[in-house]
Amino acid sequence: MIEFRDVKKTYPNGTVALDGVNLKIADGEFVFIVGESGAGKTTLMKLLLREEKVTSGRLIVRVNRTGFPGGQVPSGNTAEIPRVGTKPGVTEYDLSKISNFKVPYYRRELGVVFQDFRLFPNKTVFENVAFAMQVIGESNRVIKRRVPAILNIVNLTEKFNCYPSQLSGGEQQRVALARALANNPQIIIADEPTGNIDPKMSLEIMNLLVKIHKRGKTVIVVTHEKDLVDYFRQRVIKISDGRVVSDGVGGMFG
Amino acid sequence: MKQYRASYFLGQGIKGLWRNGVMSVASITVLMSCLVVMGSFALLILNIDVNLEKLGLMNEIVVFIDETKDDLAVEEIGAKIRALDNIESVEFISKEQALEEEQARFADYPDLYNLVEGDNPLRDSFVITYQDNSKASTLVYQLGQIDGIAKINHRQDLAASIERVKSGISLVLVWFMAILFVVSIFVIINTIKLAVHARRQEITVMRYVGATNWFVILPFIFEGIIIGVLASGLAYLIEWYMYRYVISMMTGSFSFVTILAFEEIALPLGLAFLGIGIVTGIIGSTISTNRYLKA
Ligand SMILES: Nc1ncnc2c1ncn2[C@@H]1O[C@H](COP(=O)(O)OP(=O)(O)O)[C@@H](O)[C@H]1O
Ligand SMILES: [Mg+2]
Repeated sequence: MIEFRDVKKTYPNGTVALDGVNLKIADGEFVFIVGESGAGKTTLMKLLLREEKVTSGRLIVRVNRTGFPGGQVPSGNTAEIPRVGTKPGVTEYDLSKISNFKVPYYRRELGVVFQDFRLFPNKTVFENVAFAMQVIGESNRVIKRRVPAILNIVNLTEKFNCYPSQLSGGEQQRVALARALANNPQIIIADEPTGNIDPKMSLEIMNLLVKIHKRGKTVIVVTHEKDLVDYFRQRVIKISDGRVVSDGVGGMFG
Repeated sequence: MKQYRASYFLGQGIKGLWRNGVMSVASITVLMSCLVVMGSFALLILNIDVNLEKLGLMNEIVVFIDETKDDLAVEEIGAKIRALDNIESVEFISKEQALEEEQARFADYPDLYNLVEGDNPLRDSFVITYQDNSKASTLVYQLGQIDGIAKINHRQDLAASIERVKSGISLVLVWFMAILFVVSIFVIINTIKLAVHARRQEITVMRYVGATNWFVILPFIFEGIIIGVLASGLAYLIEWYMYRYVISMMTGSFSFVTILAFEEIALPLGLAFLGIGIVTGIIGSTISTNRYLKA
């Protein structure tokens, strides 16, 4: 569960990017975040990544790895056996207070996708995905086993040995998505993931994000694409001028 | 089991060095020069010390006793000397012992002392070694006050001037070291900064996927360490070569000078080079990655 409580973000130059934001996003929800350019969507993502700190208010992220809503495991039921790379149970992070030392460990709970992919041009598809696992100290044995499985989810199995320059925009974004999934996070954050790719590929990326959502992950997608938002009929949060102006299911774009 | 492997950081460090080759070569060269200059001065001082010791110039005074004094008086004089401050040891050499030594020394000229057999022209003496060179003149004065001491032999002037040269060299050494150390660190800082800059995109992504500060920084620390190790290794080889060259020069024309064999100083020199090299590398890379420790 992700909870923004009266969050305000003021940048050092005085720009108020977010003001009075109250939001709750439940475990396993799929959420679109929409709004004009400069509305504060990226700032919202940066707060979630703890790349920026909230100026006031509270931002709490409760990571639930039990496989049951709210982390309430019914009695007599043994919790889902955690997959490799995850810790069992529930962890709460108060991002308004978290120490710098803990931030890397918090970020391992998230998977991030950017508009500009941010792949390493001198690493192959396999190496790009493996990198996220190396960074957190995963062993080569686990890496060799898991990377092909993840590439299979994003339908890139045959391209594992290609370099990003040999791939289309849509394919590169799928590599980025695979990297975001590498450490099996419960929450996926994507800031305009289809901003740099053509419409047909965009649909494919969105389909993948929905597929990931169906596997029980919380997925938050910032997007400009009205057609896609209308098509998927999911919860849509609209931000304007740093405030949440509407929040509901279905074609509420515009 | 999650594990970070040293080989990963080492590999990244080597890659980083390779990627900005010119700066890496510059860092290694500057640090190496610094070490060679430091090492040469240190070896020079070491050898001066050895020679001073051999010459017995330092910390030694010989006093000769008036030949009119009888054995009892000589003993009393010895006791007075032992009671003085700054005394390390006092050795009595009787005139008979002295004669034997002289005869042994001039064995090729048996007549020299045989001529005077039965009438020993030498005096009883005390060989005094003292602790603190800077208080030697006080000691010489105090010895002069003792009745029955006919002559005091002390190469005080020479000892003092050698001491002055030594401290002069040490001072130059300290300044050289300080300057070269600062220059080395400065060059290493810039080398590592370039390496960090070249990898800034990678670092951004590392941060997003949850890399700890140490994971981000260690490759650069390793890079600094590699610079230190390479520089100290090269400096050692140069020092070795130079030292052998100096020895071969000296043995011909300055055969009275003792020079330490390289083997005697090899280990301490090597360890000192390695230690200073690694520490410099670590300091340089730590300073240049410092801002990344703040998350
Ligand atoms: N680092 C920053 N420093 C100052 N102002 C910023 C910074 N980042 C964003 N802003 C400002 O904050 C507001 C919201 O920006 P952003 O969150 O990027 O909007 P969006 O992603 O919805 O286009 C804008 O007015 C933008 O200019
Ligand atoms: Mg934006």
